[in-house]
Formats: sequence, structure tokens, C-alpha cells
Amino acid sequence: MHLSLNEDQRQVLDFIDSLARPYAGVPLHDAGLTLESAELDAALVENGFLDVLMVEELGPVTAALVVEKLARLPFAVEAAASSFVRPLIDPDLPRPLCLVEEGRTGGPVRFLRPGASVVIVGPSGVRSFKADESVIAGAQEDALYAYPVAFLTGLPDAMTAHEVDPAEVLRSWRVGIAAEAAGLLGAALASTVTYVSERKQFGRPLATFQGMRHRLAEDQVMTNSVYWLALRAAGTGDPGDAALALLHAQEAAKRVCYDYHQFLGGMGMTLEHPLHLWTYRLKLLTAELGGRGEQGLAAAEALWG
Amino acid sequence: MQFEWTAGQDAFRHKIRDFLHANLPADWEKFSEHGPASPALTAFARDFCVKLADAGILFPHWPLEMGGEGLGPWEQQILSEEMWIAGEPRGGQYMNVNWIGPTLEKYGTPEQKARYLEPITRGESLWCQGFSEPDAGSDLASLRTRATLTEGNYVISGQKIWTSYAGLADTCFLLTRTSDDRKKGITIILVPMDTPGITVRQIPSLIGEGDIHEVFFDDVTVPETARFGEEGQAWEIVAYSLRNERLGIPRFTLARAALDRAVTMLQEQGRFAREYVRIEAARCAALCEAAGTANYAVVQKRVDGLAIGAESSSARYATVMAERAVCEFVVEFLPEALAGASPYLKMHHQRGIVAGVAAGSAEIQLNIIASDVLELPREPR
Repeated sequence: MHLSLNEDQRQVLDFIDSLARPYAGVPLHDAGLTLESAELDAALVENGFLDVLMVEELGPVTAALVVEKLARLPFAVEAAASSFVRPLIDPDLPRPLCLVEEGRTGGPVRFLRPGASVVIVGPSGVRSFKADESVIAGAQEDALYAYPVAFLTGLPDAMTAHEVDPAEVLRSWRVGIAAEAAGLLGAALASTVTYVSERKQFGRPLATFQGMRHRLAEDQVMTNSVYWLALRAAGTGDPGDAALALLHAQEAAKRVCYDYHQFLGGMGMTLEHPLHLWTYRLKLLTAELGGRGEQGLAAAEALWG
Repeated sequence: MQFEWTAGQDAFRHKIRDFLHANLPADWEKFSEHGPASPALTAFARDFCVKLADAGILFPHWPLEMGGEGLGPWEQQILSEEMWIAGEPRGGQYMNVNWIGPTLEKYGTPEQKARYLEPITRGESLWCQGFSEPDAGSDLASLRTRATLTEGNYVISGQKIWTSYAGLADTCFLLTRTSDDRKKGITIILVPMDTPGITVRQIPSLIGEGDIHEVFFDDVTVPETARFGEEGQAWEIVAYSLRNERLGIPRFTLARAALDRAVTMLQEQGRFAREYVRIEAARCAALCEAAGTANYAVVQKRVDGLAIGAESSSARYATVMAERAVCEFVVEFLPEALAGASPYLKMHHQRGIVAGVAAGSAEIQLNIIASDVLELPREPR
């Protein structure tokens, strides 16, 4: 057992901090509900940050740390699937990767756009295809999610089959999303803490009222343990740990999104504040892989048969 | 980062398990239904701790100069986990080796060390902690039990409450008031429990017989040499003690073990097929593992020699959430467990249900997290 960052991990995270500094701020009002940056994405690819899982001295825990760190940015980055699933099926698959469960192809698909690699995962195997306009229906322009999303209108007849165990892909998928949720939870908490520490009502900061302090403290407890469970799931490679990590992340997301918008009052409902960039990503992640119930069933199967 | 135990840590854990297997009686599970402070378990612990001492695993985490083996915080954690999962066969003596011994070593006079440390290392002493009072629970600094220095003796008058182990303890680690300065007016006195003027009354409870007590001090007189540290130094000393015991009992391990036991019972009875039961069990497991990793992150800071701050409150609150979830799971899906069907699950409930109350309430932990982890501006006082 050793839970400190090693020197390599510290360096990777410091490097990401410097690289992402220009993207730490939020252009308000005109940013809309989603926010992406092709330049940031290109810089991450160029520096190999989405491939750390395959680097022997870095590996899955560092990959989880990277995904967690990137999820804290206001800009949405397709990092989880590329970092955790792409190495398993084909490290050269074009990005972004869109992971879709077999039989659940009707939901909003994150980062779906022409050129994206759609990966269908299910009991019959793992298959992929390159998306083009013929299979994509754009989501409503003012869809509420803070990820770019679109819908699949159908699947092509020909897809590339990948020789990989679908259960292993599901495990990695869960770890990646748990790590992404951990970063979103951390950023949303930090953002809320800053606001309620400055906003004054009744002559004192909102954060001095115990009703709010205790709920924020409970949110911190959940956020902290989501972080650790995600890292542990990455480190152990255990399917039960992965299901527990995503279950806990989805439980946490459900709880804190409500709290934070409540605490920000009107600001949480307008685009004057960037909170939605994290919470309305988290909300969509609560539906990932069938949501909490499915993670619970997967965890129960792994733990107790 | 490494989430697996090292071979050495695994070997240490197995050494403890082997010892437990060899030294706990066949009917231990039923027997451990007696609470850790019960007369039965206390008597058992007096023999058991002597055997632990003989086997070198009563205080292996103590430094070499104190007679320990100098093993680190991970080994202390492993030792605590294995004992707590087993129902804490050390009884109240776990306090001796976790914080009383190290605190005596740092702040005790040579006479106090000579008198108290050796019985601890032989597994022969039992302490109680005279902290809470009827009007001083979470607000500990408002305590009023008065100690007055008169002609070389302290004369102590007042009342303590919810005191674990008081009925059978040899010595009380007692917080007293020696001046009106709120925190700087508190002084520790080590009081032999057979001193005239002490009256102990058991408070009946649903968490096990003999567990908690009221203790009355009526002009209890002890020599000035019984003072521990200087007058007014109690707050500093208690803070030091808590550094050795910041995380408290590793309750999440027993919660997880109880959950596994509950699931096994449900499976044996064909009652674990329904999806909502499975999902709820998984939710409990996630909370237990969440608490575990949060606790381990704090242990790592001890290993690294870093100061432990409010993150330990976050880990403790995660433990409270896990304990609550497992206790509620058992009551909802195995109500018979608390009525005789499972001594182990009943034992877990009695110990787990107090997680948010004992040794610093959950709400105080939340206050600490708000102020010192989130660094929110403080509430006006």
C-alpha cells in the first residue's frame, strides 16, 4: 500500500497544469452550454497525455490522474475513453472515441461527430466504425448537457470487430468515467466553495451558515472518496472495484449537483457562472452505462456472485 | 501509487490472523456479543493481551526505544483492522497501545512511566477516559469537574458521563478544570479508580452491557504527582494523543465484514436474487470501500511523516456513512439478525450504530471539514 504520488506522476500533473493554464478560465455568456477547444485537444495528443496508460512506468493510475485533472477544466475533453478503452482495442483508432452499449444506442452520445470512432460494446463483442453524417442526428441546439452530444440514427452493416473481452472493456470504461466524474466533482465543489465564501446575504458570507456548511462538508466527503475509489479501481484492475467506483461516483453526482445549484441560487441557473459546465456533465454521466442501478448489479455480481 | 499490500504487510496480517485463530475460543463469535467493555470480555482480554504481548503483537508499532518493533503506521492499521473485525478481543486495552502508551512516553514523569507503561506492555492494565460531562459533550472545553491543589494534593469534585470501561478500569485519564481559562484551564490527572470518593454507575444501553457509565468524583484526593503534564496543558496533550488515534477505530472493516455476512445469509435463504437488494448491498459496499480508501490516504500521510489535519475528519465521516448504511441494510433485509439469528450482525450493529456519536460527533467532523478542508469562512460566534 502506497498512496502518495510518485515523482513521475507529479511531473505529469505539473506538466498538464502548465499546458492547460490558458484553458483554466471561462469565457462567460458567449460560451453556451458546451465548451471545447481543438487547440487544447491537439496539445494533449501531441504531448502523449492520453496515452499514458501504455507507458510502462506510468500506467493506469497515472491515466486516471490525468483524466481526473482534465475533467476539472471548463473545457470538455474526450479523455476517459481514449485513455482507458482505446489502448485495449486499437491504440490507433481515430479520436474522439464514442462508447456505446449494445442495445442502448438510442441515447445521447458524447462527442459524436463525423470522423469520430463509435465503439459498440456488448455481449456479442466489441465492434467499431467511423461515424459519418449518414448515421448522426444532431441533438437539439440548446440541449442542456455541457458535453457536445448527438444521436446515432442507426448502425452501419459493416463494423470492425475487435478481439478483446467485452467485460474488460466495460471495466476500463467504468474506471475512466469514474475518474472523469471525480474531476468534475472536484471542480464543481471548488467553484461552489468560492462563490458561497464571497457571496454575502444577511450581512455575512453564505458559507458561514451551518445549514450550508454541513451539506458542503458532506459533499467534500463524497468527492474525496470518489477520487480515491477511482484511483484504486485503476490500480487494482479489478472489475468489482471498477463497478463500485462508478456506482459511488454516480451516487455522488446525483447528490451534489442539486446542492450546488441550490447554493448558487440564481447564478446557478444562468450562464453568468460556469457551474453548469461541471454539473451538466456530471448529470449526463449519472446515466452512463445504465446508471447507478446497473453499476450496483455489476458490483454485486463481481463481489458476491 | 500502489493499492496492494506488500508481501511484508500481507505476512504481518496473516501472522495476526493465525494468532487469532489459535487463541480465540470456538464459541468466540457468540462470546463477542458481550461488548468490549463488558465484564466478560474485559476478563477475557486480560488473558488474551498477555498472550499478545508474549507473541510480540501487542504493540509492535511502538518505537524500538519503547520496547516495540518500530513497525510503521500501516502495521498499526492492519493490527487494528484485524482486531476490530474479530470483535476486538483486546477489549479496552486497544486504547493503551494506540494512544495512552505513546502519550505517557512523551509527557509522563519518570515515575509515571515506571508505574504505568510496564503493565500496559504486559497486557495487564485497563484505562478509562474521563472526558465527557453532562454539560460538556461536543463542547468539551466547557467541562467543569474541578481539581483544586491543596497542600500537595489535588482534590477533585465533579461528574463524568458516557465513560467507556469505567466499571472495570484501573486508572482514569481524567480531564479536570484547574482554572477558569476555557482551554488553558484544563489539566490532566491520572486517577487510580480505587481512590476513595469515586462512584461508578453503569448506564443501561442497547449497545452492550457494561459499556458506558456515569462517574462521580466526591472530594477525590490524589497527590500532586498524579498530574500529567503541567496545569493547563491538557488541550495540547489531548491533541497529541489524537494524532496517534486520529482516525479512531477502523470501523469500515467490520462494516464490510458484516455486509458480507449479511449477503451470505440472504444467499443461503434464497433472498439475494432481487435486484433492489443487490443494488442496495453494492451501495453499502461502495460506502465501506470509500471509507477505507479515505482512511488509507490519511495513514499514508502518517507514513510520509506529514501533519495530519482535517482530512482525517473527512475519512471519519465517510466511515459514519458506511456504518449507517450497513446497519440499515441489515435491519431492512435481515431484521431477525438483531433478534438472535446472527450474534455477529447484532454485535456489528451495537458497535456500528454509535460511529457518528463516539469519540467526536459526526457534526463536529463536518464543522472541521467546512473550516479546515474547504476553508469556508467561519461561523460567527
